[in-house]
Amino acid sequence: MEGRHGQKKEQAESTEALKARQEREAVLVDSKKRDNDALRVTTSLLRKSPDYYTIWNVRRTILQEGFLEGADAETGDKIYSNELEFVQENLKLNPKSYFMWNHRRWCLEHMSNPRWDKELAMVSKFLELDARNCKRYIIRQLDLQDKVSSDKILERAQSEFDYTTTKISQNFSNYSAWHNRSTLLGKLADDMTEEERQATVDNEFDLVKNAIYTDPEDQSAWLYHLWLIGRESRSISILGSSVISFHPLEIVVAFDETVKFVNPPTVSTMVNHLPVPLAGEWKATGTDSTLGTIWIFQQAPGAEYGPTVELVVFEDDVCSFRLGARLHSAVCFELETVEKDLSKISGRLGRLVVGKNLMCDVTKRIGHVPDPDGTLDTQKENRKHTVTSLTTSDSLDDRTALLEREIAVVRELNEIEPDSKWPIQILSMLLSELRQTVRIHSTQAKLLDDECIELQEKLITIDPLRQERYEDRRTQLVFGRETLHLIKDGKRFPEVEFEEDLPPSLDLSMRGLTHIPISAYLVHLHTLNLDSNAITSTRFIRNLLNVRHVNLANNMIKRLEGLQHAPSLEILTLENNLIARWEDVVAGFVFWGEGKLGRTGGHVKVLLGNNPVVENEGGEYVLEKRWEDVGEVGLEIQWKSEELRLAEEALVAAEGVASTSESHMEAIRRVSTTVVEFDAGPGTA
Amino acid sequence: MLPLVNGSSSTLDPLAPELLMDLHVKYIQALDTKKNDLEYWLTEHLRVNGIYWGITALQILGHPEALDQEQIVEYLVKCQHENGGFGGHIDHDTHILSTLSAVQVLITYDRLDAINVDKVVDYVVSLQNEDGSFSGDSWGETDTRFIFCAINCLSLLKRLDDKRLDLPKTIDYIVRCRNFDGGFGSSPGGESHAAQVYVCVGTLTILNALHHIDADQLGWWLSERQLKNGGLNGRPEKLEDVCYSWWVLSSLSMMRRVHWIDAPKLTLFILEAQDTETGGIADRPGNLPDVFHTNFGIAGLSLLGYPGLVAVDPVYCMPRHVIQRIGLDKH
Repeated sequence: MEGRHGQKKEQAESTEALKARQEREAVLVDSKKRDNDALRVTTSLLRKSPDYYTIWNVRRTILQEGFLEGADAETGDKIYSNELEFVQENLKLNPKSYFMWNHRRWCLEHMSNPRWDKELAMVSKFLELDARNCKRYIIRQLDLQDKVSSDKILERAQSEFDYTTTKISQNFSNYSAWHNRSTLLGKLADDMTEEERQATVDNEFDLVKNAIYTDPEDQSAWLYHLWLIGRESRSISILGSSVISFHPLEIVVAFDETVKFVNPPTVSTMVNHLPVPLAGEWKATGTDSTLGTIWIFQQAPGAEYGPTVELVVFEDDVCSFRLGARLHSAVCFELETVEKDLSKISGRLGRLVVGKNLMCDVTKRIGHVPDPDGTLDTQKENRKHTVTSLTTSDSLDDRTALLEREIAVVRELNEIEPDSKWPIQILSMLLSELRQTVRIHSTQAKLLDDECIELQEKLITIDPLRQERYEDRRTQLVFGRETLHLIKDGKRFPEVEFEEDLPPSLDLSMRGLTHIPISAYLVHLHTLNLDSNAITSTRFIRNLLNVRHVNLANNMIKRLEGLQHAPSLEILTLENNLIARWEDVVAGFVFWGEGKLGRTGGHVKVLLGNNPVVENEGGEYVLEKRWEDVGEVGLEIQWKSEELRLAEEALVAAEGVASTSESHMEAIRRVSTTVVEFDAGPGTA
Repeated sequence: MLPLVNGSSSTLDPLAPELLMDLHVKYIQALDTKKNDLEYWLTEHLRVNGIYWGITALQILGHPEALDQEQIVEYLVKCQHENGGFGGHIDHDTHILSTLSAVQVLITYDRLDAINVDKVVDYVVSLQNEDGSFSGDSWGETDTRFIFCAINCLSLLKRLDDKRLDLPKTIDYIVRCRNFDGGFGSSPGGESHAAQVYVCVGTLTILNALHHIDADQLGWWLSERQLKNGGLNGRPEKLEDVCYSWWVLSSLSMMRRVHWIDAPKLTLFILEAQDTETGGIADRPGNLPDVFHTNFGIAGLSLLGYPGLVAVDPVYCMPRHVIQRIGLDKH
């Protein structure tokens, strides 16, 4: 059902066109016929046009109604066998036709005694001609799943598995064979003892090692290697929770990754020492309120609550974008709702509490919730650790030992072939896995991070085609390293949470960041300095519920987004970015798609000096004219005044045209920052 | 508001070939005048799909008027059967592939009034199997492509709330098609393939269940589809092909990782696959063009932000303004 693939430019003939058309019409006009003549017409048509699916349908109807009805099993099978031969003959001409394979499947499914050995032999024959073709493999899989009595499944899986061994030993670069191996091994392992699994895994590691040493650039064996080693699922973490408003009651919960609520977590108010559920609604910040790292609960109008509110998030309440990731255990927060005069703390909108340390001010983390039988999750934890994707162990040390062994193998190969990208990619993945097993604030964790960051930098130089992906990965690692001090120390990474005391400002300038990987880590900040990075989007600001100053000067922002949830924002510095149109400025202040203003009564100063928009929109004159576009928002947009522009031109003239030097740029920025009196915040290193 | 038309871009190399927009419009207009070619008849079963590819390309090129809308609507109406589905051509049997294409065209034209929508829904719903998957037609072939076609179609018709459907099972089935490399195949155990990745990620996106994928792992695998010449292949060790520009880019776009592909190099590869004489885009440079690759090449360029093209929706492969008009623009 696709267009033509791989067809060279040449003239198509048109003489046969009419004949083909007449034959086709003959069948369709006289579609009641169910005899040999009708069947022959479909034969001739399908030879010419094997994807003409209607004719396959007609053919099956003719067979069913004209030949198979009332026929005994033996006669039926003979008819189906003839069909299989017909398909086989045509497959040689057109091996890619979906509908031909479909007809084959139909025959085999309806035969009373399908000859699977014959079918497999035929498929294997096709495989000799072309080492891999997924459709034929699908047929192989199909018979594995549906057609064989259950006691024979394992036997067949074993023979298929051996077949992939043959194929791989002929040529390591056989992606289909490695793929099949992974699915077959999963099936076979179900029936193995722990010892057998161990032996199988050892065997697989030997095979992989052979393959990667033969061709370190071939991705098949590497991806299989990574699969074999498996990944220990890291838990989703709740970093913290806090009350952010009392009328109505609003509670915020910060996760360390994007999550979706499977069930909304329960908020209860205590009445006579008993929790009574409080009606309300959960929403994530951002345009899609069903996904996010920051979630806000708002009580339903009229619901009453007492001095203590309890929030419980159960393991099954949330899921994330990582496979199988879940909360390590249920978590309970006790939230005091004794009202304080929050307006004095800040409360610019009278809506959000902006305490010094938002996440820790009014919340007590109670910790794990006991099961109904009274046992704590942590007490009954005799959880098996992943060692490989097929084996487990009671001891984490076995996992560590395996990772260290495999890291040594890859490292050795990396030393022999320093410019081969696959060993580096896999090494980086394995080091990240190993990091999951060590103490969060340990020296080893830091060394592992540093090495991973170096590996990304190496990858950027040897594989520039995928530079952006490596930059993103590097950004994740650097961001993790720079925000580690916000996280409590712990043995390893089952679950992390915020430190008790969170500093109100963070300097992440000049770190080469392309994005903010987990903006929930920044939810408590008042001041964030991101000057001179490579950030392309302001979406992350939607999660900075507390932030007043964000410095994004010297980045790669093209449009403003996500500002509607940053109600404390006062100054947004965006000098030297790529914003080219007024619409792209206003977009940040409008709810996407609804045309509603995201906030009212606030007052934000946006500094846009040295963005293309200044020139495109003609400076302050346009600014005044467009003021009404943003309605009630107290938006103050500043860009270079005419005066400042002239001053800069004079500066350039004085230093000569060639001088786009550092000192010049410095001078411009000095002028700009003087004008707006922006304070980058303390702790600037 | 996201932009509906790509703005000008200064990142393009001035010496690079340009998108021959007028020539492609002419190429698509001429497709229906080749009734004496054998090719025309051999592809008759794809006629309704062909119309979808053609009009979508024209929409993205900004020339929706280049084909006669009334004539097309009239033709499509004739392709609907009593069972509610659409055939690939008049008198051809119904299939989910042609049914989706017909619905996409009619929604683009805002002409759902011309057909019986309830019956289309009945047809699509009738194709769901016990295991949650969907068959392509009443003969029972299943494939993750057909699941996407069905879910996409019902989503466009705003009928995913139909009580007869079991969508959790559909999600489970898709999850069972996931492989060791993070990709998806055509059925459980089937090898990962970029087009199957698109249909699975698209289905999960529409069903708001994208958390079933590991976006970093799958994004990695997809980014490795780009070859040195800038083109993308569908799976390891295979040749590059223009249509994967769409399957790979749209999947990455749904996972917000389009930038993991080197855009200037891919743009150049697609432009070099243009037929500079007849118009149209081929699967790779030097080959014969067809409307399928023309559409997915142009749609790919739109996702890459090629200047002057109408923005395309990565899930539905229809103009973004159409998806906005019907209120499905949450992605």
